[in-house]
Amino acid sequence: MQVDPMIDTSEADDRELLQRVGDGDEEAFRRLFRRYAPNALALARRVARQTFLAEEIVQEAFLGVWRNPGAYDEGRGSVRSWLMGMVHHRAVDAVRREEAQRRRAEDASGAEVETVEDPAERVLEEVSLPQEQRAVRAALEELPQEQRQVIELMYFGGLSQSAISQRLSLPLGTVKSRTLLGMRRLRAALGGLER
Amino acid sequence: MTDHERIEELLALRALGGLESQDEAALGREMATHGADCAECRRLVTELEETAGRLAFALDPVPVPTGMEDRLVASAKAGATVVPFTRLDERAGRDRRGGAWRAAVGIAAAFVLFAGGWVVRDLAEPSSDGAAVALEGAEVVTFEGASGSLAVAYRPGVAGVYVFGSDLPAPPAGKVYEVWMIQEDTPVPGPCLTPRADGSLFTYVDVELGTTETMAVTVESSSCPSAPTSEPILTADLTSA
Repeated sequence: MQVDPMIDTSEADDRELLQRVGDGDEEAFRRLFRRYAPNALALARRVARQTFLAEEIVQEAFLGVWRNPGAYDEGRGSVRSWLMGMVHHRAVDAVRREEAQRRRAEDASGAEVETVEDPAERVLEEVSLPQEQRAVRAALEELPQEQRQVIELMYFGGLSQSAISQRLSLPLGTVKSRTLLGMRRLRAALGGLER
Repeated sequence: MTDHERIEELLALRALGGLESQDEAALGREMATHGADCAECRRLVTELEETAGRLAFALDPVPVPTGMEDRLVASAKAGATVVPFTRLDERAGRDRRGGAWRAAVGIAAAFVLFAGGWVVRDLAEPSSDGAAVALEGAEVVTFEGASGSLAVAYRPGVAGVYVFGSDLPAPPAGKVYEVWMIQEDTPVPGPCLTPRADGSLFTYVDVELGTTETMAVTVESSSCPSAPTSEPILTADLTSA
């Protein structure tokens, strides 16, 4: 995959901003927030499926950046992937806690399990997208459907490997192997460390 | 499957958030056998986490709610953990709990007007949020209960409250203090707060007190649950203010 010059430029700028945040630079913190909060909110909303919870998740993630920008390790990838990783991790934790609470409540009441929207359904719908978005969507579209489905349920749906295995009635080993193969393809398409 | 393929499979699951605890332990064991200087392991970790992080950009960006940036910056500078309050009505609708908690709130201690000099100093701290409570005419109500001091300042009928405290013990690891507004026997979730290292706390919260008669504080997980899971450790009676 060719390196996107826009991405390289923004990454260098991101690192500079993060360094300035480490020096207590409020404006740098605001710029980082303005740059990535819309994507972070989109991710948190998709995974957590609740607007207020998504805002909490994003706010806590950025507070984490302010409190400890040194947690970012240049050797571990780009700033934006690090940021989205923090948001995603919090969102998955939150949705699984809520899911467990809901299950306990439903077990106690004997209520039916609510069917939630399959996150795999809507990820690829829109067109006319910014360059980065187009690149990622194209990479997803290139995946065989069965690999894309597993990856989207896991990442955007916040489902664990076992939950996906149950939902799709697949052996756990199949879920794992589809995840591995899909991630290999995505890694190749998105250029691994190109940023 | 080779060692590195096994590690790659588990790392891919972890990067996407799908790894479960038993496999997390297996991954730890596999990685440990390769040691910290395994270049291939490090490469796999980096590339898979980078790839997963970029998936977020497949989604359409969402407009950031008005005021969220200023609230975040205010919270960051205050050293507190504060959650937004843009969907209080939505939250309140599903946050009704049974009588035991209400009974605990019912024994809320009487308010004490907080007149210490440090209150004035703290309220005079700059806030980037234009909706700040004006000191003049503000009601200041302290919480009673556990050790330390916690108080709220607000102007009746005006959105926004300051929450401030001193000598507050740090919550247990992984826990935060969560503030609740009791409205018609229903605890409506407020901010989640963590005191500074010196036990002090000062933050502005953009919230409508509305019909709140009592405020309470519980110790909760850092996820800030939308309904209390423990008994209040601090309570404040706003009707006496």
